[in-house]
Amino acid sequence: MASISIKNVWKMYGEIEAVKDLNIEVANGEFLCILGPSGCGKSSTLRMLAGLEHISAGDVYYGDVRVNDLPPKDRKIAMVFENYALYPHKTIYENMANALKIQKMDKSEIDSKVRTAAELLEITPLLDRKPHELSGGQKQRTAIGRAIVREPELFLFDEPIAHLDAKLRAHMRGELKIMQRKLGTTMIYVTHDQLEALSMADRIAVMRDGVLQQLATPSEIYNRPANKWVAGFIGEPAMNFMDCEIIENNGKILLKNDAFESALTKEQSSIIKTNARGNSVTMGIRPDDISFATSAKESMVSGEVLVTELLGGDMLVEAQVSNSRITVKTKPDYSGQMGDTCQLKFDNTRWHVFAGEDGVAYF
Amino acid sequence: MASHEVVQYRSTIRSAINVFTFVFLMVFLIWTVLPFIIMFVSSFKNLLEAFNLPEKGDWASVISVFFDFEPTAIHYRELFTERNFATYFFNSIVSSGGSALISVVLGAMAAYSLSRIDFRGKNHVFFWVISTRMAPVVAVMVPLYTIFRGLDLIGTLPGLILAYTTFNLPFAIWILKGFFDNIPYAIEEAAMVDGHTRLGAFREILPLAAPGIGAFLVLCILFSWNDFLFASIIGSGGAKTLPVATRELVTPTSIQWGKIMAAGVITSVPMTFLGLLIRKYLVTGLTMGAVKE
Ligand SMILES: Nc1ncnc2c1ncn2[C@@H]1O[C@H](COP(=O)(O)OP(=O)(O)OP(=O)(O)O)[C@@H](O)[C@H]1O
Ligand SMILES: [Mg+2]
Repeated sequence: MASISIKNVWKMYGEIEAVKDLNIEVANGEFLCILGPSGCGKSSTLRMLAGLEHISAGDVYYGDVRVNDLPPKDRKIAMVFENYALYPHKTIYENMANALKIQKMDKSEIDSKVRTAAELLEITPLLDRKPHELSGGQKQRTAIGRAIVREPELFLFDEPIAHLDAKLRAHMRGELKIMQRKLGTTMIYVTHDQLEALSMADRIAVMRDGVLQQLATPSEIYNRPANKWVAGFIGEPAMNFMDCEIIENNGKILLKNDAFESALTKEQSSIIKTNARGNSVTMGIRPDDISFATSAKESMVSGEVLVTELLGGDMLVEAQVSNSRITVKTKPDYSGQMGDTCQLKFDNTRWHVFAGEDGVAYF
Repeated sequence: MASHEVVQYRSTIRSAINVFTFVFLMVFLIWTVLPFIIMFVSSFKNLLEAFNLPEKGDWASVISVFFDFEPTAIHYRELFTERNFATYFFNSIVSSGGSALISVVLGAMAAYSLSRIDFRGKNHVFFWVISTRMAPVVAVMVPLYTIFRGLDLIGTLPGLILAYTTFNLPFAIWILKGFFDNIPYAIEEAAMVDGHTRLGAFREILPLAAPGIGAFLVLCILFSWNDFLFASIIGSGGAKTLPVATRELVTPTSIQWGKIMAAGVITSVPMTFLGLLIRKYLVTGLTMGAVKE
């Protein structure tokens, strides 16, 4: 078992800086998700951890061993590749058994391990086929199988379930999580699907353009995003943003914009007072934390309903509030129609304020 | 890379094309195969029967040319007893097989590194390799002869093997690089993660290059087996091969047609079987579906 330290790691492809000064500590047995949009350097990071990519600068440690110059075979890792990378000339069975065969494991032991994994991944009937006779999702499950038959010190999974159908994906999320818990093996799991990251990870590392934005538990990432970008990236539907001004009135700190003017809570005020850099800020609030006001007294802002969208048990209402579009999540019994005026109430204990210049969160 | 079944729709034009295709293929078949049949049949005829041709316009007795004779193995026997063809056959096999093997082994390794590793001046190296094949064989023959004579390689099998290798190797590198380029590097990465060394990973993907390597092995053998120029100049004397020996059956006083035909059969039959044997290697497309995209 291994803990992983990534220290000031850079990855350069010629001029392109794919990973910039990355620092991550992963505890032994932890499930870490690396989350970010396409091209943000997730795979590059994972491949450096696997030893498949040269580390341009910085160090990677497994425990206290510096592994920069250790070839993949000596790292005791099992990896699921983004592009599967199955052996085309081997059957599914042989693909999964290969690593064990290299370890010179007993034939019957290999057989039982491969069959157990195949059972778990529901690919038992496919064991005698070649990869080109499989669908994308089946290949991907084979790739997972090839990793989990082994008992490595570290799992490296690169978008391992991105090509499964929604139902199977939900199922596999659970299975992978259970498997990782049971084995207690450290897992680094790359995904661009926030649902996967939020539901599986012990901690999430959010990356953007090669830079680590935030490294925290799922609930912290969701509830206390480090900056405006993370706040907008995490959460579905996405957070609403409005440009605001901070003003002081009678010793009270207020958030003001064309559409509304509202006081911050005591705690929020004191954070602003001690940290404020400039008056222009961005207020962010999730659709879940906005509701429709029932009385005029409750109302904070008024807007115009643009469109309503029924999503099974919830309804999304998009409203125009001065020059911003605000999404509200409400119950399906909402009766407003397009063009109606609506009164909105923001939950001011749940909103976020980000500095105007760099988007760093005050709270 | 993957081929598809092409949908064909029935129409009069299509049927006409089909008929035409059939006729064309028949003519082509006869055109290709007939010389071989005549060679084969003639090699079993004595001199008299070999020139026993029907009169012009006498189509009825054409068939008898192919069947109406008493087969004799005398030409074959004489080739091997009086003419040392066993030695020449051996020389042909060793020189073509040896150079093909060396070319493919060295070529595969060179092609692999050119395909996988980026180093400074790689394109120049690659171009230089190909450029050695640009000069016509005749142009390099004289300098090659001088060099080989200096090294005492004239008339020896190693000399002939070396000569063929100088011509096969660049070709091998060039062709095999294409095959390695088509094998995704990700498969080797997977092999390394599975616990292979760099070399182990290379071996792991060799089966994927097998169609290319097998096909190319045969191309190399064919080139050397059928070669006359190198064999007659560099191999002359001690390392005589079948084509050169066959040529010597034409003497100023006589042309020994029967023996020439028999030698022709001896030379073509092994290559024909080789061709049949490697057909399955030429079926490529093995990498299909291993890597996404
Ligand atoms: N071999 C390479 N040569 C040059 N640039 C590369 C190479 N590999 C990746 N990059 C660049 O590095 C950046 C990060 O790539 P990476 O593959 O790590 O992204 P990713 O986060 O895994 O994206 P995705 O979710 O699409 O897989 C991208 O801008 C990409 O264009
Ligand atoms: Mg990737």
